[in-house]
This record gives sequence, C-alpha cells and structure tokens, in this order.
Amino acid sequence: MNSSMRMLASVSLLAVATSVASPALAAGTASGTPITNTVSVDFRVGGVNQNQVTASDTFTVDRKINLTVAEVGSTTTSVSPGQATAVTAFTVTNVSNATLDLAIAATQLSGGTSAHGGTDNFDATALGIFVDTNTNGAYDAGTDQAMSYLDQVAADASRTVFVVGNIPLGRATNDVAGVRLSATAREGTAAGSLGAAITETSGANTTGVDTVFADTNANGNTARDGIHFAVDDFTVLAANLSATKTSRIISDPFNNTTNPKMIPGAVVEYCVAVTNAAGSALATNVSISDTLPGTTTFDSSFGILVNGTVTSGTCNADGTAGGSHASGVVSGTLSDIAAGVTRTVVFRVTVN
Amino acid sequence: MKKILLALFALLLPVAAQAAGSVSLVSEVFVERTETNADGRSVTTRAEPDMVVPGDNLVFVLNYRNDGAEPATDLVLTNPVPDSVSFSGTDDASAVVSVDGGETWGALAALTVAGADGASRPAQAADVTHIRWVLSQPVPQGGAGELSFRGVVK
Repeated sequence: MNSSMRMLASVSLLAVATSVASPALAAGTASGTPITNTVSVDFRVGGVNQNQVTASDTFTVDRKINLTVAEVGSTTTSVSPGQATAVTAFTVTNVSNATLDLAIAATQLSGGTSAHGGTDNFDATALGIFVDTNTNGAYDAGTDQAMSYLDQVAADASRTVFVVGNIPLGRATNDVAGVRLSATAREGTAAGSLGAAITETSGANTTGVDTVFADTNANGNTARDGIHFAVDDFTVLAANLSATKTSRIISDPFNNTTNPKMIPGAVVEYCVAVTNAAGSALATNVSISDTLPGTTTFDSSFGILVNGTVTSGTCNADGTAGGSHASGVVSGTLSDIAAGVTRTVVFRVTVN
Repeated sequence: MKKILLALFALLLPVAAQAAGSVSLVSEVFVERTETNADGRSVTTRAEPDMVVPGDNLVFVLNYRNDGAEPATDLVLTNPVPDSVSFSGTDDASAVVSVDGGETWGALAALTVAGADGASRPAQAADVTHIRWVLSQPVPQGGAGELSFRGVVK
C-alpha cells in the first residue's frame, strides 16, 4: 500500500464514521482501478487438513463523468448603474472519478426568470471569465487569470470561477442581468491545453475503461450530457433622486416680515430639496448648482445652508453653513443621501 | 478463428482455481442494476462487470465443488472485501464477518468498532473487512454450493 492509497483508506474510514449510509466518496474509486476479489477455502479430507484453495476475479472501474456548477452564496449580486467590474462567483466541481479538463463558458440570459426570481431585462457588457488564481475566494483584478477552460481538475477538486462584467448606465433599481456559467467535461490527459471532447461509450460494454456520463438534471440541466451549468444574476440597485425647488418671501422694505409683498427690495428664500426614493441605493457626491434669476441679488449676509431637512413639504431652517456663490450661481455639495432621506440647500436673494 | 474466440472466452471467464486439493472454487462478480421499465415496475438485472462506476451495486458469487473422491469436511471459505468495495450485506444468515481485518469474527450486530472519538460503537455493514462461511456439514463427493454477498463500488 503506497502513501496515497493509505490516505484514501483513512479518508474512507472518516467517511464511514460520519455517514455510514453512503460509503462512496463523491468521486469514488479512480477510473481504471482494478478491483480484485479473492476467496479462499480451507477444508479437510478424511480428517486431514488439505492445501488451501483460492480463486479470484478482477474487474476494472470505469470512468464516471460528473460535474457540478453552483453559484457561490444564494443571493444576487447587487450592482450600481455604470459600475465597472461587477463580479459574480461560481464553484465548478469535478465529481468524476478521473482528472478532467473543464471547458467554461458564460452566456447572458435573454429574458425569462433569472436565478433569484427577477426577470432578465438587460445584459452586462464586456463579460469575462476568470479563475480564482490565488484561491482567496475574491476576485482580484490582474491576479486572477482570464480563461476559457480549467486545466486538469482532479477528481473531487473544485475551482472558483468569477464572471466579471460592466453594468450600463441608466439602469433602474431591480433591473436584472442573468448570467449562466456552464462547464463541459473534456479529456484531462494533457496539461496546458484544452483536451478533446468526451463521448459516452456507446454500444456494447468493453472490458476496458468505459465512459459513463452521470451528471444530473438539477436546476434545469440536462441529465447525462457531460455538461452542467448554473445561473446567477446582477440586480441593479440605483439611487433615485428627485429635486424640488420652493421659495417664500421673508420680508419687504415696507412691511418688513409682516405679510411681506414681492416688491423690489423684498428678500426671498429659496429651498432646493433633494430626495432619494425609498428602496434606493445610497446616493453619494450629490451636488446642487442653481443659477439665480438676473433680477435678483444673492444675499451674502444670510449665506447658504446645506444638509437641512424638510417637514411635511416645508423646508426647515436647520442646515449648516456651506456651499458657495460665484457670478450668480449658487453651488452646494450634500452629504450622502440614504434611501427615503431628503437633504436641502437653502439661500436667500433680494429682488432688484 | 474459433481458436481465437475460445482464447478470448478463456480471458473473459473468471479464473477457476486449480483443484490442488479436491475442492474447486470460482469467484465471480456481477453488477446489479435496478431500472424502472415502461410499465413503471422496477426491474433488477445482473450483468458482467464490464461497465462499473463508483456507486454501482455488486454481487460477489462464490461457487465451490468437491471434485475429490472423498467427502470434504470443515470447509471454511474466507473472502476479504476488496479495498475499493464497501460491504453492504449478505442474504446468507450463516455467514460471519470481521471488522478488524480478520482478527475476530461474528455476526455484524455483535461487533463493535472504535468511532472517530475513540468510543466504541456498533459496527455497520461498511465497516466489514472480511466475510467467512464455516460449513457445518461435510460436502460429499460431487457436492457443490453457491454463496454470495453484496458490496458497493466506493
């Protein structure tokens, strides 16, 4: 018994200890392994021990081709419109009892229900397939290598494969791009190149090593075709901003603040309110730019208040000083706006 | 041509032991498959082990025959379970098994093995390393018998 056989034996003992009902390993006895059964009989004739008689029978374990593709995790990959390098991961496992090359292809769904209930309605662009070269489970641009096949995957071994694409601008929340990753069993005899296609042994059995496809029809797959696929998807979570601008008269030179009228010299307060709709992505780097009417003058004594709140449609005077004014244009940058939150920019002008 | 065919048959046939004593022995293996036929009934077939993959059910059949002129007594047939096969039982209640490489023998229910935590637990079919039949009756001249057990390709 060599060391690898000893390891096999100890592994199978472990399997017995944990799950007695299923003695077989996922891949099982390697293809081409001879199994010899030997029986012996001891007996006596006329009360005298005779020589032991033995008999044996040997057969060869054939090649069972089985592979699985599964998405990593059980949720969609949330993406932003315009996002570059959106990543979804799959695990490709060789459950055969022989080493195989696995040809890998990614295709986009064309409509229909995707992996997580959404309806596929757009395609990611510049789709690429990468293997987790440094086996850290995360996509590392420049490190994880683009590929179209997995070279010489041993029995029971699995690899993590990333499908990477760009998300077009302009997609709305809950838009879905479904991606299907398929793996096809190929001969794994030579390193560094994709092996030949594999066909099942057809017709009569042979005494040599035959090939049997044993992949299942799980998740819409076709059983026993040497191909297995899984679907995962990108779901857009966009920010959904809307802006409203309101104004109110603060005072005029004659009535002051009591029932002021819109006459020259009156002070008018503008409020620009930016709302991110409920269920949207966090909006960042939101900036406001407002060109003042030519008949008004910016009130620099009041200044600009940013990040104020709105109550029942009315802007509150609770912002903090910020923003800037130059050449009749008021600018303000808001803090990040979470879903369902409104932030304001408030400033005043005088009517010329 | 006939000669070649015969030679091929000789290769295909299980190896029969030389009758060194007076008892001959033949070991054969079959693959047992259960399929559902068109009527929805499950049909079990036995085939030569040409197409065998992990998970297949095997039936090991042992045939013995007394070719000698005298009755043979105290027959003990011993069959180690092959490494890549997991024992899954025998229909023959007279068989005894070993779970420790042939050191101790008994009915499976009476045997124990050390579990992963070192504690002893009841032995399971998959723990069996050897199976043995001890024949209490002499086998008369020309007398023969067939014994069998089952296993699964690991």
